[in-house]
Amino acid sequence: MKRGLKWDTILRSKLFWAVVAEFLILLVGFIIRPDFLNIQIRTLEDGTRVLFGTPIDILNRSSEITIIAMGMTLVIALGGTDISVGALVAVSGAIALKFLRWDVLEYTTPGDYSVMPFVYVLVVPLVVCTLMGLFNGTLVARLKIQPIIATLILMVAGRGIAQIVTDGKQFTTQYAPFKFIGNGSILGIPLPIIITFVVVAAMVVFVRKTSYGMFVEAVGINPNASRVSGIRSAVIIMIAYVLTGLLSGISGLIYSSRIISNDSNNAGLGYEMDAILAVVLGGTSMTGGKFTLVGTVVGSIIIRTITTLVFYFGIVSEAIMAFKALIIAGVIVLQSEPVRRAIARRREKRHINLGGELHA
Amino acid sequence: MSGVILEMKGIDMAFPGVQALDGVDFSLRAGEVHALLGENGAGKSTLIKCLTGVHRMDAGTIFLEGKKILPNSPQEAQHLGISTVYQEINLCPNLTVAENIFIGRQPMRRGQIDWKTINRRSQELMRLMGVDIDVTLPLTTFSIAVQQMASIARAVDINARVLILDEPTSSLDEHEVARLFEVMRDLKARGLGIVFITHFLNQVYQIADRITVLRNGRLVGEYMADEINKLELVTHMIGKDMNVIYDLKKAPQEEGAPVVLEASNLGIPGKVEEISLHVKKGELLGFAGLLGSGRTETAEMLFGVVKPSKGSVSMNGEKLVASSPLDSIRRKMAFCPEDRKRDGIVAELSVRENIGLAVQALRGFMHPMKPQEQQKLADRFIRLLSIQTPDAEKKVGELSGGNQQKVILARWMATQPDLLILDEPTRGIDVGAKAEIQRLMLEMCIGGMGIIFISSELDEIIRCANRIIVMRDLEKAAELDGEDCQQADILAIIANEETEEAMAE
Amino acid sequence: MPEIRSKPFRRLFKPNYLMVYATLGIFLLLYLFGAIMYGKIGFTSIRTFLLLFSDNAYIGISAVGMTMVLITGGIDLSVGAVASLTGMIIAYGTTVMGLHPLLCFAFALLVGVGLGLLMGACVQYLNVPPFITTLTGMFLARGVTSLISRESISIKHPMIDALAGIKFYLKWPNAAGEWVKIKPVASIDLNTIVFLLMIIIGAIILQKTRFGRNVYAIGGSVQSATLMGLPVARTKVLVYGFNGLCSVLAGIAYVLYVKSGWNLALSGAELDVISSCVIGGVMLSGGVGYMWGTLLGVLLKATIPAIITFNGTMNSWWAKIFTGVLLLLFIIIQRAVVASSSRTARKAETAS
Repeated sequence: MKRGLKWDTILRSKLFWAVVAEFLILLVGFIIRPDFLNIQIRTLEDGTRVLFGTPIDILNRSSEITIIAMGMTLVIALGGTDISVGALVAVSGAIALKFLRWDVLEYTTPGDYSVMPFVYVLVVPLVVCTLMGLFNGTLVARLKIQPIIATLILMVAGRGIAQIVTDGKQFTTQYAPFKFIGNGSILGIPLPIIITFVVVAAMVVFVRKTSYGMFVEAVGINPNASRVSGIRSAVIIMIAYVLTGLLSGISGLIYSSRIISNDSNNAGLGYEMDAILAVVLGGTSMTGGKFTLVGTVVGSIIIRTITTLVFYFGIVSEAIMAFKALIIAGVIVLQSEPVRRAIARRREKRHINLGGELHA
Repeated sequence: MSGVILEMKGIDMAFPGVQALDGVDFSLRAGEVHALLGENGAGKSTLIKCLTGVHRMDAGTIFLEGKKILPNSPQEAQHLGISTVYQEINLCPNLTVAENIFIGRQPMRRGQIDWKTINRRSQELMRLMGVDIDVTLPLTTFSIAVQQMASIARAVDINARVLILDEPTSSLDEHEVARLFEVMRDLKARGLGIVFITHFLNQVYQIADRITVLRNGRLVGEYMADEINKLELVTHMIGKDMNVIYDLKKAPQEEGAPVVLEASNLGIPGKVEEISLHVKKGELLGFAGLLGSGRTETAEMLFGVVKPSKGSVSMNGEKLVASSPLDSIRRKMAFCPEDRKRDGIVAELSVRENIGLAVQALRGFMHPMKPQEQQKLADRFIRLLSIQTPDAEKKVGELSGGNQQKVILARWMATQPDLLILDEPTRGIDVGAKAEIQRLMLEMCIGGMGIIFISSELDEIIRCANRIIVMRDLEKAAELDGEDCQQADILAIIANEETEEAMAE
Repeated sequence: MPEIRSKPFRRLFKPNYLMVYATLGIFLLLYLFGAIMYGKIGFTSIRTFLLLFSDNAYIGISAVGMTMVLITGGIDLSVGAVASLTGMIIAYGTTVMGLHPLLCFAFALLVGVGLGLLMGACVQYLNVPPFITTLTGMFLARGVTSLISRESISIKHPMIDALAGIKFYLKWPNAAGEWVKIKPVASIDLNTIVFLLMIIIGAIILQKTRFGRNVYAIGGSVQSATLMGLPVARTKVLVYGFNGLCSVLAGIAYVLYVKSGWNLALSGAELDVISSCVIGGVMLSGGVGYMWGTLLGVLLKATIPAIITFNGTMNSWWAKIFTGVLLLLFIIIQRAVVASSSRTARKAETAS
């Protein structure tokens, strides 16, 4: 009986189904292309050895979304959403490239250098994005504005700001330290994976080793009771949005480093959607409350795996959305309350039947 | 007596893990008020929800005027003539009063909604209920009582034959209850069968013709209201020996005990007039008065849930400045709010987390309690308050009302406050748990804690309080010594203003 | 309780209407600003005013459906993608497959309304949040559009040309008493007519039908609506279906406007539509909103790029920033209105 109950909790857990879904998708990939799961070490022209293979690529390319989704998980657990993250990615890239630009008019040779100390290139975008997160947080926590609209403001205005920063131009850079962020590797592991790992680890530690996570859940479940219990929910909410802003900035640096350019129109386009999906696929409910950061990582990887898989079908990149939609729809239906309840009930019935048979 | 209009036979209904109803019978005659009584969890709500099609019962039959019915939704039930008015106002706050009365069955003219007729007839219906208001204003403009009248107007106007009133009086004051009863008598005279669910036994005797008592999902019995006395009734409801409950001793008072809490001239215009009070160490201060008399508002001001616009509060001689719950907790104050579900429990968090919540909030999230520390804290209070839960990891939302209340109590006891404010801690929980909470309260007092105890039930206050403040019309009407205080005294004070008012009219 | 006796007066000042007045006021202010700054170069001409309608008809048509969805407390992110899919169906159908546009319209309607109903059913029966459901719908519609073609397909069909060519020129009598076109030439095109027609239809549905009132009730409180016996499930599903219809009509309007289909057309249009509604006083929390407000919201939002165009020196991306500022402004006004109405509610309660 005890074992049966445990199985029921596992079957009811959304995270479990997310992991199952990921394995199924990987299995499909493996059946189509047996080399889908291969990982090998390749030596690049400059002699560095890097891990290579689809799983590595999936992890690498999911970095931007995973990082943002860490913050998004908290925001969603608090019953909110932040749809400005994509625009913040564009802002972050625009500022970084603004500082890194080589400008044909000012400099005679296209230089591999930064016009600003490199630390500014890293810090200023992050500070600006953090402040934008603070703006979102203030609207939501202090002025009690619905999160979707509050963040809609920066979603709309953010790309405009990014364009103003770069005067509507697209810069490119060859500055090696900057290129390294998105394209380099340490001990054969692509740097974005390492950054993501560090961010996820830091977030998990922050959330679970302090009581921040419990407060987020408390506020997400019952804001009134939390307030009466002495939790300063405004501060809790504010931190979640500020963190999301900061993480969007980090994600923007990785993205712009990958493409060694800024693109105010397309950088981070649709990231808010992907990040929210990652959170929901991972098992955190859109209505707030309990959350799981690890689940979100799984969710983000699912999204990337689907994309990668669809590439293997040789389908045009824009059409990937359709497949993403179908698979996501499948997962969402599986995770939805009525369906999970139905599955749980069927198991219960079977238990009873089995019990009956044993007695007979 | 007229014939049976509604008959429910052998109703079974199970939820995962609980047999909520077990072969319950219930019958209702036309032109009677039939009270449905029982402790929380007795199955009253479930029975009603089976009748109105919210739940689907597992077994049993329902006959409405001799015909077998099986409503699948509240809609269907309504079509059949079974209307329900719930405890929480189930109307739409963004619509006008008139529209709330007519939505879903609006009179149409030339294919369009006939707003004129809707507004005119609503005005008439509300007048019949003794409420004269502008029905074209949004529902939220009006008091809960008016909203309740609107939902009854709606229910009755749908040619209801059976009207179910699910704890309609719990947020009404005495006047409003009286008005509601008038309306009910009027409806009764028109031949409606009324099912009346309430926690207030006095009201049962005022209005009900027959009484059905449920306990633990089973039918205990059906009685004529004039043939059963209160004590018998209560015994049927709780099935426990009453002596256990009434054996309580007040906390002894020391001469010259230091003042813990002192409030002076605290007030918010329109909510509470200036009020001054103090609580001494080891003293239990009772707060009596009708709902809406300013009791809860005063408590909320003391604790900083709402900011008072004037006056000051000091704890142990130190003035509270920030006027926020956290500030008050820091000064060793604690507050169990009235609405347990809304302001108390965090339903999806575990018992352990709920108990630790206030202590943790006090420390700040960057200084977390260690897991073992949390576990120990939770275990200690589960034992101390005998909270009935399989373990500390159970979600609080899955516990019964009384146990939830104990968890909240534990949350505050864990902060080791010098002053504890309890706003209706015994409301809506079963009688056994009630007595336990009263005993706990007194034990804490003896341990030196100052307590402010707010309750609607006078005998409860008289039984426990060392001193009693009576609230009336948003201000402090009197302060009485708890030792030799009679229920009649308090009632006289509460009623005083009303007689004056009646004379003025 | 102090009662204001003159009823029409008070009814005009219901707190819910205040938002619409705010929209109107700011629209007039902005228009006045444009008139003062750029009146000389034609900002105040009827032509410019009518262009606000015809250039934004597809946003406006979609906003009609969106308003209803938002009033129920939902949201629909798929509108841009569905409109784009409609455009692609029409373009591919007529140009590549040689089908009659009407057949394509019908097919697009089938797809759009079908998807809308499906999403509504998902929201209602599977309890999937609208945001997620319609996001998936958006991905699906975009993806399918891209599957049909990644190239922009231009549409050349006499019927499309004819529909796009429908224009009613505004005329006035000249000195000789003959009716001549006003100058600068101003006309009302089919898209504008459809837009205004949809606004009127939407307003009638919302104010004069039971269905419309149920939409408000659901937005006010789903639980109450259910317990009052209103057909919540049916209403919700139909609202999303109706929104699908509006998206398809918006897609057709867009086709008539640009005469081509493209898989990336109208990306981000859902934000324009939602912003227009919010600026028009529709509350994202549900239960509050008016079609006339949405109409004003569309116009107000359209006036910003118009002014920037007339300015000539400013970059188009300023429009985004101004829209953001406008959103902020409206959100703060909404807050203030909600706060003040709950204050009056409290006052009324203590007084009664």
